[in-house]
Amino acid sequence: MASPMELSCWGGDWGLPSVHAECLVVMAYGRFSGAPLKVNVIDNSWRAPRGSVPLLVSDDIVISQPAKILNFLRKQKYNADYELSAKEGADTLAYIALLEEKLHPALLHTFWVETDNYYTVTKPWFGSRIPFPLSWYLPGKMSREALNRILVTKGGPPFCSLAEIEAQIYRDAKECLNLLSSRLGTLPFFFGNTPTTLDAFVFGFLAPLYKVQFPKVQLQDHLKQLPNLCRFCDDILSCYFRLNLTGISPAGQDPIDANLQKLIQLVNKESNLIEKVFFHPFCDLLVDD
Amino acid sequence: MSLAAEAFVTQIAAAEPWPENAALYQPLKEEQILLSDNAACLAVQAFLQMCSLPVQVVYRANAEYMSPSGKVPFIHVGNQVVSELGPIVQFVKAKGHSLSDGLDEVQKAEMKAYMELVNNMLLTAELYLQWCDDATVQEITHPRYGSPYPWPLNHILAYQKQWEVRRKMKAIGWGSKSFDQVLEDVDQCCQALSQRLGTQPFFFNKKPTELDALVFGHLFTVLTTQLISDELSEKVKSYSNLISFCRRIEQHYFEGRAKDSTFRPSLIS
Repeated sequence: MASPMELSCWGGDWGLPSVHAECLVVMAYGRFSGAPLKVNVIDNSWRAPRGSVPLLVSDDIVISQPAKILNFLRKQKYNADYELSAKEGADTLAYIALLEEKLHPALLHTFWVETDNYYTVTKPWFGSRIPFPLSWYLPGKMSREALNRILVTKGGPPFCSLAEIEAQIYRDAKECLNLLSSRLGTLPFFFGNTPTTLDAFVFGFLAPLYKVQFPKVQLQDHLKQLPNLCRFCDDILSCYFRLNLTGISPAGQDPIDANLQKLIQLVNKESNLIEKVFFHPFCDLLVDD
Repeated sequence: MSLAAEAFVTQIAAAEPWPENAALYQPLKEEQILLSDNAACLAVQAFLQMCSLPVQVVYRANAEYMSPSGKVPFIHVGNQVVSELGPIVQFVKAKGHSLSDGLDEVQKAEMKAYMELVNNMLLTAELYLQWCDDATVQEITHPRYGSPYPWPLNHILAYQKQWEVRRKMKAIGWGSKSFDQVLEDVDQCCQALSQRLGTQPFFFNKKPTELDALVFGHLFTVLTTQLISDELSEKVKSYSNLISFCRRIEQHYFEGRAKDSTFRPSLIS
């Protein structure tokens, strides 16, 4: 218990502590349960892990995947769910499954598959946090993995084209947002006055959709029509992450660093052109297949 | 189906009452059907029984290829063909039959969430067992799946399906799971369902909903299917309220059709 726990995460922007849903889930749970996590934001150096982020390291134990990290934290006595009844624990599991099945595909699509969003926001942003020449390869790989996941889980005979699959996953995601909104109602958190695991998951999945400024924002528009979910995200950001924004980020980002990052983002945007020419026709072929 | 097509289908469906000759198509039950398909078929049968909509069950070796979505079961009603539980619930609702109309918004959200839990954990675990556990694949899945086809088509189709399912497992992060981890997930899911059900007769007290039909389909199938090991059914058997829940639905909705041998593997001993 005394050993320090270090969490490697993709960093934040647009007022978020992290732009990555899974990282955000773990960071939020850490705050809710009071676990003393030392957050290492991934920068463009070689030593940072990138394969399975978020990654928790405690002594010689290395854990990836949010659900496993949360389990580990619970075993270390950092439990945000002490006050839940057995039935509420069951509800937590069910709503997390709902998020996974209905909202996650649309979130992946918004970040990694939607062409405009990917080339103007996601790829430059992640590219600037990955060392060259890996920055040319890794975002494309992450994008292909996201597309593959969407195709094998949601594709199938009734939906023959990517456009039909897209329509379906966004319909599912909007329904999911509506269900979450009716479940939350006017409560401050899903199970009353204190945040729990479910709040961490919902926050992690919703906040990036709510805050990241993409050119194509159909899900964000829908989310903004559900004021209680927006209020839920804003409350968690202001109550649990305000210290983070004023405390840690200025130290990690002096003006030179910020300028350098902007430059790297710019270079990455240029390199998109090359990728578009060489890789995109190939991707289209795969999709049509 | 596009939005416009869906709206059109809904309109047509609403215009006609439920016909006498409605049929439900599923694979051959003795020699062909697999665990996950059987669960899906039973869930739809239970749902239609709960709605008191008569349907004749038709067994076809090529049901999978007849289905518009490539998945069983599908129903043939009037001149409409609809497959899988979700779309069938929508279709039946358009005809004015619904089990979940009495629920408020929060309960509806809860029902949907638990249905996703069953799909996310139980269904995936069934698929894992029948396509990724090597002993089960060799002894049960391949012989049964390939049974209607001549050599070498039986092997080709079974391997094609296996490749497809394994690819999906890999994409959702189940590819590297061990069988014990999968059993742990099943246990967690059953525990959640058991806690949610408590001492009520159905998940939303007095009246069954599509969630009850789905849970029944999966649990009853797991409990009554002979596999090479009974580890999966042992997990379910440790929750006595889930067992009595399955018995209750079997007695209430399938007893009258006891002659139908679909339900020969009865829980009532």
